[in-house]
Amino acid sequence: MPFGYHGSYLRIDVTRLRADALRRGRRDGVEHVPLDDATLRQFLGGSGLGVRLLLDEGTADVDPLAPEAPLVFAFSPLVGSPLTTSAKFAVVSKSPLTERINDSLASSGFAVAGKRCGCDALMIVGRAAELSVLVIEHDGGEEQARVRLVPAAAYRGATCQETESGLRAELGTEYRIAAIGPAGEQLVRYATISHDGRHAGRGGSGAVLGAKNIKAIAVRGTRRVEWAHPKELTALSRDLSKRSFGPATAKYRELGTATNLLTFNRFNALPTRNFQSGTFEDAVNLSPEQLTATRSKTRDSCVTCTIGCEHIYSIGPNDGVRVEYESLFALGSLCGISDPDVVLRASRRCDELGLDTISAGGTIAFAMECVERGWLDEPWLRFGGGDALLRAIELIGSRAGIGDVLAGGSRHAAHAIGHDSISIAPQVKGLEIPGYEPRALQTMALGFAVGPRGADHNRSGAYEVDFSDKVDRRNVTLDAVRHAIETEDKAALMDSLIVCKFLRGVFEDFYAEAAVMLRAVTGWDATADELRETAKRIVAAKRRFNLLAGWTPAEDTLPERFLNTPLPDDPTASLSHDRLNQLVAEYHRQRKCEA
Amino acid sequence: MYVEFLGVPRQRAGVAEMVVEARTLGQLLEALSSRLPALSEVIAGDRLHPSFAANLNGDEFISDPGTPLRADDCVLILSADAGG
Repeated sequence: MPFGYHGSYLRIDVTRLRADALRRGRRDGVEHVPLDDATLRQFLGGSGLGVRLLLDEGTADVDPLAPEAPLVFAFSPLVGSPLTTSAKFAVVSKSPLTERINDSLASSGFAVAGKRCGCDALMIVGRAAELSVLVIEHDGGEEQARVRLVPAAAYRGATCQETESGLRAELGTEYRIAAIGPAGEQLVRYATISHDGRHAGRGGSGAVLGAKNIKAIAVRGTRRVEWAHPKELTALSRDLSKRSFGPATAKYRELGTATNLLTFNRFNALPTRNFQSGTFEDAVNLSPEQLTATRSKTRDSCVTCTIGCEHIYSIGPNDGVRVEYESLFALGSLCGISDPDVVLRASRRCDELGLDTISAGGTIAFAMECVERGWLDEPWLRFGGGDALLRAIELIGSRAGIGDVLAGGSRHAAHAIGHDSISIAPQVKGLEIPGYEPRALQTMALGFAVGPRGADHNRSGAYEVDFSDKVDRRNVTLDAVRHAIETEDKAALMDSLIVCKFLRGVFEDFYAEAAVMLRAVTGWDATADELRETAKRIVAAKRRFNLLAGWTPAEDTLPERFLNTPLPDDPTASLSHDRLNQLVAEYHRQRKCEA
Repeated sequence: MYVEFLGVPRQRAGVAEMVVEARTLGQLLEALSSRLPALSEVIAGDRLHPSFAANLNGDEFISDPGTPLRADDCVLILSADAGG
């Protein structure tokens, strides 16, 4: 077994796991499955390891909400090390929103405590007989972790935050909790799993956990791994932390991701009113510069992180909301909302209910346009209506009224509404498009179209290419394809090591530096070239999963709106069917050559 | 020409925009550095620090200090990692 790993994962069948199993000395439903060195070296951890474990289960074709569908929490070799931003975990499953692969990352103490339970990943299958908390703990001297179910009826309907704080009060503050909110219990297909105010947000992993009747997972552990070269690791960690204070991360420290708002607006790339426009006339109201001027703000960071990207704005006495660009765009400009108080309250409510803000905002904005076009008879649901936004969020969280339709996401809602509304549903493969207007950012448009988990800015960083001199962002050529592939590969490696993408500007040669970090942790003689191949292997594994789940090339496209209508406020931003088809075909050709 | 600052460069500059006379990008950056010492983290000589980017009129991104500029141009200075 290499350093940095435990060399096994816990496979927990919550159907067979009994609340009284521990007392009776039985371990029904719990397996410690060995992980060989080759698998770990080929897939590392996080997203890569999670996808590999899903493929090994052979369940790509099952209903993601069925008991037999696995849900993996994958840690990584770097978790528990002093390397800045390394306290992260990936939640990997088949998505109930897209029916394709889904890997969502979240951060902080759950990753460290989970790995200290003596495993490199947790896989959960089955369905508990009643709403339960899955407790996993490991004390010094024990051979294996203890696993049990605790009834969670008292937490039914509780918010993510209420559940987490309640369980820590009940079980002990040394436990770290990942929980779902009411949306996860209701199987909303874009429900999140929340930990410490952060969310494994995209693709509906909260619904997968909810389908297993698991309200929360509580972990506590003491088993640490050894590092191959501890002194070198300490020196590397100090150096990386020092660099993380530099100009490459200033944006995240000082303004947070929300700073994108005015930048994107300036470039006609801020999606507005369900992508009917790329500029929002009231963008300044929602900007961090304006928010900072009108309310108090605090900052926070994940465990082990030196960047501190979390900007928490007050919405009342002793009450604040963590603000990210994606939430501001999705619940603000996309829905035509210019009142920052409404956007902050909506963001807060999504966090409480356990809803992905991008999919919630995207689906609501889509419904608003359907109302505007007379396709949906919900006259209260209008662009710019703050009360309407908040009401829609509540209905989705409880699946009441129109909320039941919207709980399936915009693609599902479009099928229910009809009228060719699918052409304006802001999604790819069912996943709502984040805050990057595809016509104005066409390398990103390709990244959205081919993304294995759908339209996504975390698995493809192609927008970086658009904001550079490498391409003409509104008229990209086939040369953009290799750039898009490079960003996808890089993201796959970052999500598997795992380190935060906000560090990406800190590395001069990411692959070379990643090899050095991995060598210090594991002892492997890893090289930059090996890690480039590893990244491509992980992307290929995701595509392999999708193929087994029923993927066809026709899915790698964008909604019709983006392909037949230039951006109204910037007519030079136009993307034709032919252009996108050429880009996608070239992407497939280059990926096939790699295989 | 107009210079617009976005994000961190705006924070450093303390203004959203200003007028500067310059014939090339390099001259522009040197002029900005001279007038706004707080931009020292953003500008190194006649180039931007790699964490920042310059854009011409909302169209093309430019980095060559020799890039010619016209009097009616608008140069945007922003963080290079625009996403998040």
